[in-house]
Amino acid sequence: MANSDRKERLTRVGGVDVRYFVTGAGDGRPPVILVHGTTGSVDRHFGYLFPALGIRQRVIAMDLGDPEEELTVDGLVDQVVAVIDAEVADVPVTLVGYSLGAVIAAAAAARLGDRVANLVLVAGWVKTDVHQALRNKVWQTLLNEGSSALRENMAFMAFSPAFMAMRTLADMAAIAAMIEINPFVERQMDLNVRVDIADLLPAISAQTLVIACAHDIMVPPRHSKLLFGGIRNARYTEVPSGHGVMLERPAELVHLIDSFTRNPNAHPAGTIIAAQQP
Amino acid sequence: MPDAQDLEAPKADARKAEILIIGAGFAGIGLGSQLRRHGRSDFLILERASDVGGTWRDNHYPGVACDVPSHQYSLSWLLNPDWSRIYSPGPEIHAYIRKCAQDEGLLAHLRFDTNMLASRWDDDRRLWIVETSNGTYEAAVLVTATGHLTDSFRPDFEGLDSFDGPVFHSASWDHSADLVGKRVGVVGSGASAIQIVPEIQKIAGEVVVFQRHAPYVVPRPDRAFSEAERGMFQRDPSAMREVRSENFWVREYNFAARRLIPRFINDARALALGHLAKQVPDEAMRAKLTPEFQLGCKRTLISNTWYPAVTAPNVTLEASALDRVENGRALAASGQGYDLDVLIFATGFEATRPPFSRRVFGRSGISLDQHWAQGMQAFNSIAVHDFPNLFVVNGPNTGSGHNSALYIIEAQLDYILGALDWRDEHGRTVLEVRKGAEDAYMERIADMADGTVWLEGGCSSWYVDERSRRLTMIWPDYMFSFREENATFSADGYLPEPALAHEFA
Repeated sequence: MANSDRKERLTRVGGVDVRYFVTGAGDGRPPVILVHGTTGSVDRHFGYLFPALGIRQRVIAMDLGDPEEELTVDGLVDQVVAVIDAEVADVPVTLVGYSLGAVIAAAAAARLGDRVANLVLVAGWVKTDVHQALRNKVWQTLLNEGSSALRENMAFMAFSPAFMAMRTLADMAAIAAMIEINPFVERQMDLNVRVDIADLLPAISAQTLVIACAHDIMVPPRHSKLLFGGIRNARYTEVPSGHGVMLERPAELVHLIDSFTRNPNAHPAGTIIAAQQP
Repeated sequence: MPDAQDLEAPKADARKAEILIIGAGFAGIGLGSQLRRHGRSDFLILERASDVGGTWRDNHYPGVACDVPSHQYSLSWLLNPDWSRIYSPGPEIHAYIRKCAQDEGLLAHLRFDTNMLASRWDDDRRLWIVETSNGTYEAAVLVTATGHLTDSFRPDFEGLDSFDGPVFHSASWDHSADLVGKRVGVVGSGASAIQIVPEIQKIAGEVVVFQRHAPYVVPRPDRAFSEAERGMFQRDPSAMREVRSENFWVREYNFAARRLIPRFINDARALALGHLAKQVPDEAMRAKLTPEFQLGCKRTLISNTWYPAVTAPNVTLEASALDRVENGRALAASGQGYDLDVLIFATGFEATRPPFSRRVFGRSGISLDQHWAQGMQAFNSIAVHDFPNLFVVNGPNTGSGHNSALYIIEAQLDYILGALDWRDEHGRTVLEVRKGAEDAYMERIADMADGTVWLEGGCSSWYVDERSRRLTMIWPDYMFSFREENATFSADGYLPEPALAHEFA
């Protein structure tokens, strides 16, 4: 298998252009759809996952578009459905969402029924709680005050102590400086405090893998456990990482997603899957 | 699980065992330990040397150390809280293997100074007959655990006889050779040389390094563990497992670069070339030390001391191979000549044609080496058609270009344990893989190798068999997939039990 190039495509939904990328050859498994989270994009959140999963299977990843009006989970689900309709309307898919993208992916799975064969929710949540709301409020304050600590505070929240222990303070400052904040990110942060998809969970029929980040202080594992509890056909596992798992442990995610989609029922629904001890 | 310590041990004069293991390095000791832990004691481990330890027994050159962090480079069921450093020195690793052998009750199973000379499958009696330097042994199952890098490789050089001083290979270091103040030539710039040169540069008068190809070198994040850390590992072993997990997945990440995904190969090159730029300010020198192939095509080396050593005033970096020796003078391919007192070959090991393969003969009577005339191949990287009841540990496509070799060995041990259990459960005597299954497996590996740096990196390396141009040494994928595909025995792909001879009558 030579490395396949990525193709860039566009679809339009509700007046929003949604850009997406396609890579990899089909291998009989449902194509993978990647949905990023807050401050994300294909490059920012799936810079590793998109090409690495693409070695083995067909992968489609989208940059969520900014509707420039009040952002809702439903509106973002429209974008996901539009990409699926445009690119892989005729086959069931594997839907993978990260962070806010996991919320969107879960809601999309509830809407799409058996068109979503497999669902992978990485560091997602059901309903925003006070712990998250307080962090969000601190973020808003730092933003409003134009604080130079805004990005460093975000990096501090995103990465685990073990990740930082392997780096210097300058490394962490460089990672923080790469975080992009724009009006669309501000709308995402506003949406983050309003999330509540509890009513949708019973409608999710997909074979589901819930992945929590064990050292996540932005979306702690307790939230993933609620997804695990609320989605009928779900199994649960943890990665020893902060919320920034896409930088901390992306290869482990490749392993989990690849193994799960090879044989979704290797672990029956309800299983808490122990981490591999390499 | 029965208590391994309560199992019987083979008798001192035993010549027959259910299982014979060739080699007492990490693979042989690890397998012996697992066999006992699974209630099996009918096995012997034949070792040609007089000690355990494999590569860590043989390589005792100055500066020898592992390029994988010690907590990861340990058997997963025998973690060691006492490692002195992140990358522990070789003698410490050797001591660890000796301790494992002792603690796991393997001394009674070991037969030292017993060099396997010829192993032949006896189709009538359905067992392996193993001739050694110490008599003949018989076993139903033969496991070659002879390692990847076992027999040193030393190219022939014209005129070497005319060299007056000591000449030796890095893997059989002559500690009686006095290097203090001497003019020392080191042939090679691979994984051994970059550990040796920084050490001998401190004591030699002059050092000349013959470098055929400049390697990529990345920083070595090494340091000693504090007493508190060792105490933590002792009291809370889960801390060791966390470190292992972190090391493993950090290394797995690097497969994206080996796979030549642009963003990651560019990052990896930038790390290596940045290390070079930082440590070697001189532009001409830097040019000589800049690799001409893509990172990962040859083994990527890890050192903070190599560049400072080769740029030290008493070191000459000869950026060409040693060509010949003439009247005691070492001549490089560039034409440059050097008068030297000592010549050290750091030229690596036999890899694509492992010497044990010339000593193992299958059902047809031909050797594995002949059988592998177009390069090594094995089903699940462990079983070979026409060689029943043989398991080759560290055989074809079991090397890692980005992670720890022990992870592969452990997966292969699990496979063997599964095969032995299946054999018992089904009352089988002979396990032989189908040729078709073996060929299909190799096709899949060839497919996976396509698009990786090992085939497309613009270098020639010992990872690729020069006869077939096939990648036979490396598992060209993530390590986790080696375990997923090759750690669990399945009888699919194996032939049915052959009929007994009298059944034809």
